[in-house]
Amino acid sequence: MNLDFSQIVPYIPFMLEGIWVTLKFVFFAIILGSILGTVLALFKIGSAKPLRWFADAYTSIFRGTPLILQLMIIYYSIPQLTGYDISPFLSAILAFGLNSSAYISEIIRAGIQAVDKGQLEAAQALGVPYGAMMKDIILPQALKNILPALMNEFITLTKESAIVSTIGYLDLMRRAQVVGADLFRNFEPLLFVGLIYWCLVMGLTVIGRMVERRLKLSD
Amino acid sequence: MIDVQALSKKFGDNLVLSDITTSIQKGEVVAIIGPSGSGKSTFLRCLNLLETPSSGSIEINGKNLTASKKEIHKIRQQIGMVFQHFHLFPHMTVLENLMYAPMKAKGLKKYDAEGKARQLLERVGLAQKADAYPNSLSGGQKQRVAIARALAMEPELMLFDEPTSALDPEMVKEVLEVMKDLAKSGMTMVVVTHEMGFAREVADRVLFLDHGVLVEEGEPESFFKHPTSERARDFLDKVL
Ligand SMILES: Nc1ncnc2c1ncn2[C@@H]1O[C@H](COP(=O)(O)OP(=O)(O)OP(=O)(O)O)[C@@H](O)[C@H]1O
Ligand SMILES: [Mg+2]
Repeated sequence: MNLDFSQIVPYIPFMLEGIWVTLKFVFFAIILGSILGTVLALFKIGSAKPLRWFADAYTSIFRGTPLILQLMIIYYSIPQLTGYDISPFLSAILAFGLNSSAYISEIIRAGIQAVDKGQLEAAQALGVPYGAMMKDIILPQALKNILPALMNEFITLTKESAIVSTIGYLDLMRRAQVVGADLFRNFEPLLFVGLIYWCLVMGLTVIGRMVERRLKLSD
Repeated sequence: MIDVQALSKKFGDNLVLSDITTSIQKGEVVAIIGPSGSGKSTFLRCLNLLETPSSGSIEINGKNLTASKKEIHKIRQQIGMVFQHFHLFPHMTVLENLMYAPMKAKGLKKYDAEGKARQLLERVGLAQKADAYPNSLSGGQKQRVAIARALAMEPELMLFDEPTSALDPEMVKEVLEVMKDLAKSGMTMVVVTHEMGFAREVADRVLFLDHGVLVEEGEPESFFKHPTSERARDFLDKVL
């Protein structure tokens, strides 16, 4: 074994910068995925058949094909079809946002359906309009049940974000490869960013536990 | 006030309510009794369209319910409902439970909603629990909050579905007291109950359902002393 971490020292700032680059698009992807996922979940439990059908088809497609394929299709086909030269950053947000919305919609749907039916009936009996009932009564209670599953999805997204390196986005993973090519040593930089990914995931886990504890206070 | 004509309800092939016709006057307290599975809850739930009737019509204050599905919010706002299992909103305090619907559904200002809510909590004897969460209350307290929550919408009609069946025996009384007060204040009430004492003492009229059929109705005095139908006699023999 001849590990030599001293050689990557000059590259450390370059690799650390990748944290920010990765987090930036992961953050936007999570926002997009959550909003879209909520909308899709509402379609799935709603009474409008075409919307339900659309949401189911959407979920089936995005869960049924590889994420890396979706990423490539967005990155390469949009310029080809529309002439718009989409950046790797935007492609990454779109691919990860659209993809995770499929998973998130399933999590939220299950969460909504697990809320006691009496809550819905109580709100209906009081004459509360559907939108307000969903926003104020059902979704907050669903959220509490699904928080662990949701956190899990965010963690998966953060880890899987490494595949954006394939479209040349200079994220953590890509930076490790760049450094590796520079040094003709791959193991050390890969190990280094591996540690960073692990720290990011631990950070998310801790945040998730904190939020969970917060929500449990009303019990 | 309520006029029910030939109301029937099927769940699939299962005929749960069969051709029920009755009417309820303003200020009247009506008790619905009958064996388990006879359709009491279903009947009550048809009155605010939590269940959609399969046929027949229900008019409340001259408005046909089934024809006014679009306005169902507005109609429901005038009909309070109290459930066996309370269904308080667990993520809101007691006060918020009472203020939520008046603000969201009727557009009441926060200040007015809070004033009204505190007044109602006083009335059900729970003013000191305003800031508690439902899970910290006893069953009897929960049900009194649920009654106050329904009253906060200032309904003209109150529906109760076995409001004391999920309670420990020692808590039944406090809830029945609140309901008696409400009856005295002139509220129109329809109460599904297993509390024959309550039906006898408070109700103006008793409806007896069996297998989805309105078998008998009458004043409590005569109904409990001299039920005319065989089925009502059997039922009363078992429960009294
Ligand atoms: N949502 C539903 N789907 C299918 N069947 C139902 C549904 N709700 C009620 N039923 C059936 O309708 C019949 C009447 O039920 P209902 O709840 O109205 O009876 P009940 O008189 O209130 O009984 P209990 O005293 O046990 O509350 C029962 O046979 C029940 O199984
Ligand atoms: Mg019942």
